[in-house]
Parts: sequence; structure tokens; C-alpha cells
Amino acid sequence: MRGALPLVALCAAAAAVPAAADPPEQAPRPALERARDGVEEARRLIPFEIHGFSEGALGWLPDRNRLIRNHSFNLMEGRVQLQTTYRPEHPAFLPDYGTALAVKTDFVGDGVEERFRVEFRELNARFTPLHWLDVKAGRQILTWGTGDLIFLNDLFPKDWVSFFVGRDDEYLKRPSDALRVSAFSGAANADFVLIPFFTPDNPIRGERLSFYDPLLGRIAGEDSVLHFNRPPRTMDTMEYAGRIYRSVGSYELAAYGFKGFYKQALGVDDPAAGDLFYPRLTAAGASARGPVPAAGGIGTVEFSWYNSEDNRRGRDPSVEPPQLRYLAGYERDLWTDFTLGLQYYVEQMLDRAAYREALPDGAPYSRDEFRQLLTFRLTQRLFSQNATASLFVFFSPTDADFHLRPRFGWNLTDRWNVTVGADLFGGRHPYTMFGQLKDDNALYARLRYSF
Amino acid sequence: MMRTAAAALCILAASAAGARGEEKAPTAEEIVNRANLVAYYAGADGRAQVEMTITDGRGRTRERRMTILRRNVAEGGDQKFYVHFQRPADVRGMAYLVWKHVGRDDDRWLYQPALDLVKRIAAGDKRTSFVGSDFLYEDVSGRGPEEDVHELLRTEGEAYVIRSTPREPRGVEFARYDVWIDRATFMPMRAEYFDRAGKKYRVVEALEVREIGGHPTVVRSKANNLESGGHTVSVFSDVAYGVGLPDDIFTERYLRRAPTKWLK
Repeated sequence: MRGALPLVALCAAAAAVPAAADPPEQAPRPALERARDGVEEARRLIPFEIHGFSEGALGWLPDRNRLIRNHSFNLMEGRVQLQTTYRPEHPAFLPDYGTALAVKTDFVGDGVEERFRVEFRELNARFTPLHWLDVKAGRQILTWGTGDLIFLNDLFPKDWVSFFVGRDDEYLKRPSDALRVSAFSGAANADFVLIPFFTPDNPIRGERLSFYDPLLGRIAGEDSVLHFNRPPRTMDTMEYAGRIYRSVGSYELAAYGFKGFYKQALGVDDPAAGDLFYPRLTAAGASARGPVPAAGGIGTVEFSWYNSEDNRRGRDPSVEPPQLRYLAGYERDLWTDFTLGLQYYVEQMLDRAAYREALPDGAPYSRDEFRQLLTFRLTQRLFSQNATASLFVFFSPTDADFHLRPRFGWNLTDRWNVTVGADLFGGRHPYTMFGQLKDDNALYARLRYSF
Repeated sequence: MMRTAAAALCILAASAAGARGEEKAPTAEEIVNRANLVAYYAGADGRAQVEMTITDGRGRTRERRMTILRRNVAEGGDQKFYVHFQRPADVRGMAYLVWKHVGRDDDRWLYQPALDLVKRIAAGDKRTSFVGSDFLYEDVSGRGPEEDVHELLRTEGEAYVIRSTPREPRGVEFARYDVWIDRATFMPMRAEYFDRAGKKYRVVEALEVREIGGHPTVVRSKANNLESGGHTVSVFSDVAYGVGLPDDIFTERYLRRAPTKWLK
């Protein structure tokens, strides 16, 4: 994969060049001041501002992983993100309706995939047709729920590949092409989201991360032949998500509903051909969040019922069974600029007896009724809050696996940031969530210039 | 970040131009209560652009720029703050919401636009740095007068000098602080903080006060860290009071959708 290196070097060089619009930092001389005034003047003349960053990122596999595309690096890219919001002033009804057009685009030179790509993260129009109604249509990031890196009622698409190879947390969220309508009243608020075209999670498929291939029955990389078959684009495959929420004093209460598909291909169509599909899912849940009396800090509880529509009674071992999911979380400051977060999460398989009965003899493993997961987040801010050292831990006592995410980020100046970290995995079995990633341990570094 | 902004806002707002009588000095409590209203509660609501320049002990500077919106729920009592960040670039578009409560923990939220995430923030220690500056959260949003015992030390020129000692010394970093409060406007003009060894380690001062909308308003203030040699200067512009901020600005709706009309 040596051929990728010049591309990466180029990207890194591009990332290191400050944007042309950046005004000079030091301007003791009138010429520089005039130049800065000129830039400011130019910015005033165009009806919108452009912001963003350029970044070079490298994720290194110290133990090498021969199963994946690049044996030594699972992250090697230069990225420029540009974003702007345009608020048209004519005709007059557009500003009256609070109209705004938002664009956020990433230009990525990717040394692992050895290609250049453009990612539209946001491309949407927003307006307020009635004083109690907001509408946002187009490509957008959607998030709700109370979990910290654990999602129950947030069934919008994620990018777990980005998350596990050390990209910024921003990239855990994958954009949706959606219509979001939000209504507000004194009694309660409501969100309704319509997603015409199904967008799944970015699946782990052996390109950057080796994983457990259930059809090969072992950890696989590029040799995996799984096919992730999306549902067809018809009226029947539209997704709907809703939320009703309100505050009671300092407490936030919410109820959620969802009709659509699992975001991971948790159904097997044809084992011989490696065909996987995205099972249909309806879900309903609720959450509460607020201060914990006496102890201080913020407590959260959330639960969700996942009704797997293609396996309602749990009798089909080739499709994800119905589940109940529960989460309890707590976060508080322990001392100056230090925050501790704890979460306890449980997935409960419904009708496990039916699952056991249907499981074929000689199946490599059988799923537990309860999967438990604990998370810890430790965050210490340093150097007048210009640096952040953090550790996030996933640990599952039932799966006997873990994932550690140490990270150190430092704002060298208001514009330059360097972040280093690691993604470490381990587990007793190759088929658990984090155990399957045990060969994907990586150290990463990112250098970013924001403008 | 929020704290500085709130402090700044507070400092801005000063409403009462008191009668300038020499006859009878008010008590320390009366002075402090009035100063609290002048500094933190001017008008029913308020808005300001805040530019902070943070200079560390080695002379390196960083900039913070934000708009702060404030609404009083009750004069001298609960308040709501909305802080919208413009600089530095990596926090641009973030919004911070505080429901300040007297007598119990504040409610706080932070909105991260890149993730469309409304995060609830543990209330925590109010005497930590606001956005990495030398101002503390409590400088921005005010410190309840009932939290300290106040003593009128002397009248010095145009100012009352008040010494304040915390009722609950655990949880604050100072042993006491002295405040110079303008006798005419009741604006706190200077505060000096002392540690348990009696050493002065921190000074917060109003550099420029202007009358805006009938309220004496600090338009430039400075916090000095005498130990590190660092300091932060806050400059307030576009200050306005009684702008008619609706209560729903201070909700999740406007965290996700910046209230541009009110941020200009």
C-alpha cells in the first residue's frame, strides 16, 4: 500500500496550509492591517461567511492487521470541511419565515481507500412557517435521546467505522436525507421526522477494521464476502421517527416512536451467498433527564422496546430478535474541570426460549438473554481549558469484552488543534461487539486548522 | 465561557443611580444587595456582544467572541442566560443555556451543532474558569449576596469598601474578598480576592462604565490572575436592555436553531 503515501503526504500538506481568507495574526504594520481590513471588507460583501477546517489524520496499527486493506494504517487522510449558512433577504417573506440554507461539505483525500471523495454532511433548508412550527428539509444530522455514545431511541444512522478508527466524534453521526417538522407549545413539544430513503449505519465490512463474519464463522477482513442488501426505495420503505418532549421543573421527559429498519444488517437472507438484509423495526421508548437530588450531578434513564417486525416471536435465529433496552446514566464534576460519567446499559432478548429452540445444533454460539454494558467517561481539562485529556471505557461483563478510548486534545492556538489517542479492543470471544475488533488496536493523531 | 459572559452582562447592567447623600451610610447588606441588582439585573432583559482577550503569563493571547442574552425571571432571583459562540472557530455555532437558580444548582445545557446534540451539563463548581478565561462562571452570572457575610470597612473617595467572607468556606477558593462599590451608581468597580494565607491573588476591575438605556454599564472589564500573571479583558458592545426577549428563546428549540433575530 506504499502508493497511498504520496497522496496522504499531499493531503497533510494541504491540511497544513491556512485558508487564504485567514487574516494575518500579527499586524503591527499598516500594510498588514490594510490587508486584514480588505479581507473583512470582502467578507462583508458576500452574503454569507465560509467557515470550516483542514485536517490531516493518521491512524497506525502497531501490530499490523493483514486482513484489512492497508496492513499498517486504518486512517490516513487529509480533509477540508467548508460550511456556510445563507439567509436570503429577498423576497421579503423568506426572512419573515426565518429561512436559512445550510451547506457543510467535506473534501477528503483518503489514503486507505486511495481515492478522493466529497461528503455532503449538510445540505438543507430551514424555515418557520408558523410561529410554533419549524421545518428543516434536506440532508441533516439528527440526534436525540440521553445516552453518551449509546443510542436507544436515536435510530438515525451512525458511522461506527469512523468512530473506531479515530476520526472526530462529529463523524459518528451519519447524515440523513430527511424532513423534520418540529412543533412547540406550552404543554409539550413534538418532532416528526420523515426519511424517504433508508440510510443504514456505515457497516464494518473488513476494509479498515477486521470483524467477525458470521457466515465464515471467524474474524475476517477484505476476504469477507457479505453483501449488505438495502431495502428497495418504495413508499413502503420510508422511515418515520417521532418524539414528544417537555420539561417538568428541571427534568426533561420524552417519549419516542420509530418505524423503519434496523440500521445494521441483522438478518441473513442467504447464508451461502453471504446475503444480509436490514430487518424491519418498530420501536417505542421514553427517557428522563435531570439533576439527582442530594448527590448533585445529572442522572438519565431511558428505555426502548425494539419490535423486530421480521421476527416478532423470536423464533428465527437468522434475524435479530425483539428486545427491550434499558439505560441508566450519571455524570458529575468531581473537582475543577474534571467530569466523571457512568452508564449501565442492558439489552434483554424477548422470548429467548423460542430462540433457543430454533437455534440449530452446532451453532457456534448462542446469545445470552441479557447483554450488559458499562461505560465510564473521565474528562480532565488542563492548561486553562486549552487541553482535554479523556478516557472513555466500554466494558461488558456478559460479553467479556471491552473498548478503551484514551484521547488527548490540545488547542495550540485558537486555530491549531492537535489530537492524539488510541482505540483499544479486547474480549474473550471473537463474535462479540468489541471482541471481534481485537486486531484493530490503533493509535491515531490528527492536526487541524480551523477557520 | 458562559460565566464570563454572564459576569460581563451583570457588570453591564446597573440601574439605580442612587441619591448621592452623604448623610447616612447604608448598611453593608443594603449596599451589596443593591450592587447585585445594578451589576446583574439591569432591565427586565439584556443583550451584549462580548469580546474577550485572554493573555497568559507568557504573553500569548486567545480570543473569545459571543453574544449573551439574559432574561430575569425575578429581580434579584432566578435568571436565564443564552450564550452563542462566534469565536474561536472550533466552537463557532455552539450555544450554551443556563437557568440560574438562587438557592439550588443551576440547570445548564450545551448544544453541539456538528452532532445536533443537546447535552445536559452537570452544574458543578461555579468558581471555575469561564471559557478558559480569567473570569469565573460566578463573575459572569453573579454570586448570591446571601452566600457571604458583608462588612463595610470604610468609605474611600467615591466608593464604599466592603469586605465579604464566605459563610461556607469549603467549595470556594478565596478566604475573603474586598469590593469597591461606587457610591453614586452602586456599580462594583473593583474586587480583590485573598487566599487563606492572606495573600491577594486575583483582581477583577471595571475599566470603563457607560450609561446605556439609563443603566450604568461596564463596557470594559479585566480579570487579573496575580499568580500566573495572566489576565483577560472583556469588551462589551451592542449592549441593550429591555429588548423584549421572549421566554422561549431559553429553550431547546433555540439551542438547535440559533435565534438570529436576537443575536445581531
